Amino acid sequence: MSGPHLRVDWTRCDGHGLCAPMWPERISLDEWGFPVVAPEPLDDDELPFARRTTGVCPKLALWIDEGR
Amino acid sequence: MSSLPRTSLERRPTAGAEAPIPAVHVLGTARLLAGATGSSAVGYAEHLALPGTLPQWRLDTLIAATRTVGLLGRGGAAFPVAIKLASLRTGRHNRVLVNGSESEPASWKDRTLMRCAPHRVLDGAILVAHALGTRKITIAVHDVVSARVLQAAVRERVDARRIRVAISDGGFVAGEVQALVNGLAGRPPVPNGRRTLPVDKGLDGRPTFASNVETFAQLGVLARLGPGGFRGAGSPEEPGTTLVTLVGDVPRAGVAEIPTGTPLRALVGASSSPVLLGGYHGTWVNDLDLYLDRPELRAHGISLGAGVLAVLPHDTCPVGEVARVARWLSLESAGQCGPCIFGLASIADDLERLTAGRPVDLSRLHRRLGLVEGRGACSHPDGASRFVATALQAFAEHVERHGDRRPCGLPVRGVLPLPRGGAR
Repeated sequence: MSGPHLRVDWTRCDGHGLCAPMWPERISLDEWGFPVVAPEPLDDDELPFARRTTGVCPKLALWIDEGR
Repeated sequence: MSSLPRTSLERRPTAGAEAPIPAVHVLGTARLLAGATGSSAVGYAEHLALPGTLPQWRLDTLIAATRTVGLLGRGGAAFPVAIKLASLRTGRHNRVLVNGSESEPASWKDRTLMRCAPHRVLDGAILVAHALGTRKITIAVHDVVSARVLQAAVRERVDARRIRVAISDGGFVAGEVQALVNGLAGRPPVPNGRRTLPVDKGLDGRPTFASNVETFAQLGVLARLGPGGFRGAGSPEEPGTTLVTLVGDVPRAGVAEIPTGTPLRALVGASSSPVLLGGYHGTWVNDLDLYLDRPELRAHGISLGAGVLAVLPHDTCPVGEVARVARWLSLESAGQCGPCIFGLASIADDLERLTAGRPVDLSRLHRRLGLVEGRGACSHPDGASRFVATALQAFAEHVERHGDRRPCGLPVRGVLPLPRGGAR
């Protein structure tokens, strides 16, 4: 659980699918159009791009869990 | 100030929840169910005559005792009680939430406990509230019979006057603790999108010690017997007793109090059929040489969950039984999370096709079972996936009989209980 993670608030996500083409190395879509996010923590140098990616989600469902 | 007991019945009960309890058995020493006949509740006078007296422990004493006996939560997650208690600080702001909603359709142990031994539950709630320096106790149940028994028990004792018994609506997922907290606050009884723990923010937005009714009853027993006395039954790893619900083709169907560490074979008899352990979020196992002790089962990757043990008789189609439960699980989704809504429905579709002998892409079914895991606000999709995936494995030979695009010929009798007779 250590380190920041890209997470989905599943109660908000409606499967708009804008996140996957933004960062295909980390996010793909399942057969119903919902994101499958790679489980590995985010490296420090990935954080700026992770923030840009969360910014495209129209439902603010994609978020960065800073970890505790 | 009114002198009436501060107990309130709130909201309408869940339909069909008034059924009588099943048969009650005790293997070894009766603790939680000591003095229980199954037909009426153990009264306060009778309860007081049972071994030990209820002490008033400080929080550090309570934490030390729960750590000594390795007490684990009895709602399904088996979280260590000592760790949960240690994350709270004493103060009047604290809340105590006793979860008696028992939303697992095959389980009867919590309602049996509340109806037969309500003072065991109250003992634990009062013990914890005192240690936490609060008097705010809520017992949440889904059925009116348990609520009435608890209310009558509350009126029998002066130390229980401030206990609130709340009846809440809701299906399977509404018993999940975040959903329960939301429901009690008048919000929709569904899990939160971002996980919050009750110890941080529970009832009234305050730090809350929330656990299953059986956990509280075990805490009451622990306080009355002391850690040394408590260790006098059960396994060294997880001393004491536990409640289980035995379903289907078993020698003694009903609710049983058993010492922890009891061999699985002692409960399922000579059968060599797979056994469902835990409930509809549980695991089907073929290995019957298991001992029912949570740390031991965890070492095998198995959870005792809500304590349901089920065996299917040979005259029902296991694929059809599993399909029926899978459909119900998909309909019980709170409908918040896409992978759960679409994933569980697709899985149920596949299983119904398999039951009927229509073509099914089994590799796609297995992929779908993997896809729903960890992708919801609560663990409902994970549990449903585990139930189906382990069933396909445990009944692999029978599944092959459906692989020739033909049904197996056995009827689907509906041995695995569902509320209101099933999904359709």
